[in-house]
Amino acid sequence: MTDNNHPLLQIESVSKAFGGLQALTDVSFSLTQGTITGLIGPNGAGKTTLFNLISGVFPPDTGTIIFNGTGIRNKKSHQLVSLGIARTFQNVELFDSMTALENILVGQHTRTRCGMLGSIVRLPWVAEEEKKARDFAMELLDLIGLREHAYTTSGDLPFGWQRLLELARAMASRPQLMLLDEPASGLNIVETMRLGDLIKKFRGQGVTVLLVEHDMSLTMEISDRIVVLDQGKKIAEGTPRAVQEDEAVIAAYLGTSKNKADG
Amino acid sequence: MTRDRIPYAVFTLIVAAAGWYTDNPYYLQTLTFIGINTLLALGLNMLMGYAGQISLGHAAFYGIGAYGTAILTVHWHVSPWLALPGAVAAAMLVACIVGIPTLKLSGYYLGMGTLGFGMIVNILFREWSSVTGGASGFVGIPSLELGPISFSSTKNYFYLVWGFVIFSFILCHRIINSRVGRALRAIHDGEKAAAAVGVDTAKLKLQVFILSAAFSALAGFLYAHMVFFISPESFDFIASIRIVTMVVIGGMASVWGSLIGASLLTLLPEWLHAFSEFEMVVYGLILMIIMIFLPKGLTRGLLDMFERARKNK
Repeated sequence: MTDNNHPLLQIESVSKAFGGLQALTDVSFSLTQGTITGLIGPNGAGKTTLFNLISGVFPPDTGTIIFNGTGIRNKKSHQLVSLGIARTFQNVELFDSMTALENILVGQHTRTRCGMLGSIVRLPWVAEEEKKARDFAMELLDLIGLREHAYTTSGDLPFGWQRLLELARAMASRPQLMLLDEPASGLNIVETMRLGDLIKKFRGQGVTVLLVEHDMSLTMEISDRIVVLDQGKKIAEGTPRAVQEDEAVIAAYLGTSKNKADG
Repeated sequence: MTRDRIPYAVFTLIVAAAGWYTDNPYYLQTLTFIGINTLLALGLNMLMGYAGQISLGHAAFYGIGAYGTAILTVHWHVSPWLALPGAVAAAMLVACIVGIPTLKLSGYYLGMGTLGFGMIVNILFREWSSVTGGASGFVGIPSLELGPISFSSTKNYFYLVWGFVIFSFILCHRIINSRVGRALRAIHDGEKAAAAVGVDTAKLKLQVFILSAAFSALAGFLYAHMVFFISPESFDFIASIRIVTMVVIGGMASVWGSLIGASLLTLLPEWLHAFSEFEMVVYGLILMIIMIFLPKGLTRGLLDMFERARKNK
C-alpha cells in the first residue's frame, strides 16, 4: 500500500553466527516509513538475533543495516535512540523505583539537554525544558490511559499497565522507528487489544514499527507487512493474507517431512 | 518549587541555632566532624545510592583533598583558598583517569578495582615521605583565614563546614531532581534499559564518579585545615569502609540519609567509650541490628515503619 515511500530501514544480506551456530543467513528486507511490519517465525528462527542486530546489541558478521540513509554498525544503543530508534524489551524493563511520570521523563533523555552544570545553575531555559518535558509526558500518559497513575511507582503497577508504560516511554524519545520485542507476551486478550490499538495510534503519528511477536492474531491484525524467518533464513514476505497462504510458511509452522520446524 | 526548599531552610536554621547555643568546644568539634563526614557520605551516596556503583576506595579522594591542600599550602606557600580548588581539581582529575577503565567493571569487580586504587593511593601517602611526610604524617598545615575572620576558632570552623554541607545538599538536591538525576536513578534500576532509552551510561557514571570525588576532596580539605596534622591512617581502607557504612546505614539514595549515617558513625564511638574494651563489639552489634531490622537504612526504614503504622490505624 505504501510501496512508493522511501524505506526507513534497509536490512541488506545480513548474516550472523554464534560459534558454530548460524543464527541468520543472508536476510534482506526493508521497512517502509509509517508502516507496521510483523517479524514472525517458529522458535529458533533468528527473530531475536535480528532484533538485537537492529537495536545495536551486537553487529552483523556480514551485510549492512541502513537507517535513514546511514549505516548503524558500531553505533551504541544510546546513540541509536538519538538517531530515532526506540525499543521495548520482551520482559518489561521499566525503572521500577521511579514513578510512571519519571519513567517517561527518562524516555525523553535524548530530546532534552540539561546536563550536570545546567541542573545545578538552573537557568530559566532548564525550567522551561523541564516543564515542556512534563507536559509531553502527561500527554503520553493520557494516550495510554494512565494519567491518574502518573505518581505511582512503576514497579507497583499491574503487569499489563507496565507494558503500556514501557511503550509510552519508548514513544517519549520521539522515535521514527520503534522496535517491539514480543509486546503481547503475558497480556490477556483485552490488554492485547488495547496494545494493538496503541501501536496503531503510533503508526498514525508517523512512527514505523517492527513487531516481533508470537501472538499471531495480533500480528496478522495490525501489520501492514509480514516477514517470516525460519532457521535463520527469510522464507516469505508480504501482506498478512499472502503470508498465511504461503506454502513455505505453513510448512515451517506445521512441519513437513522435508522441512521440520525446529523446537 | 518553593515547597521543597522548606526542609533546607529549616535545616539551615537548626544548624545556625546549634552553632549559636553550643559553646563547649568538644561538642562543636564533634559536630564539625559530623559535617565533614556528611560531605564524604553525600559524595559517595551520589555514586552508590543514585547511580548504583560501589566504591571501596573513596578515602583516597578524601586523602588527595587533605594532602593536596597540605602540599600546596606548606610546600608551595599557596593561599588555602586557592589550594581548595587545586586539591578538588586534583581529585577530579585522578577520578577521571581511574574512572575511565574502572567503571567498565561492575558489581564485585568494581568493588575490587576501587579497593585496589584506594590501597595504591594510601601506599603513596605512606611511602612518598619527601612530599607527604610518610608514615609519621604531615605537620604544620595552616589554619584558615578570610579577611578579618579567623577559622582557628572552633565555632567559626563549625559554621564554615556546615555552610559547605548546606551548599552541597542544595547542589545534590538540584542534580537529583533534574534530567541528570533521573538518568542516574535509571542506571541504578537497570543499566540496559537506561542505555535503551538513550542514556550514555558510561559517560554519566564517570561524571558522577568525578563529582563524588570532588565532595570527598572538599571534605579532605576541611579536615586538614581543622586538625593541622594528617597521617596516612586517616585515609586507609578502614576509612573507605566507614564511608560506605555511613551511606548504607543512613540510607542509600537519600540526601538526609547521608547526614544521619554520618552523625551515627561519628557519635557512636564517642558514646561507646563507656564500654571501654567492648567498644568495638557493641559498635559492630549496633550496626548489625540496624541492618537486620532496617535493611534499607535508617531514613528509608524509619519512614517505612511510619507509613505502616499510619496504615494500620
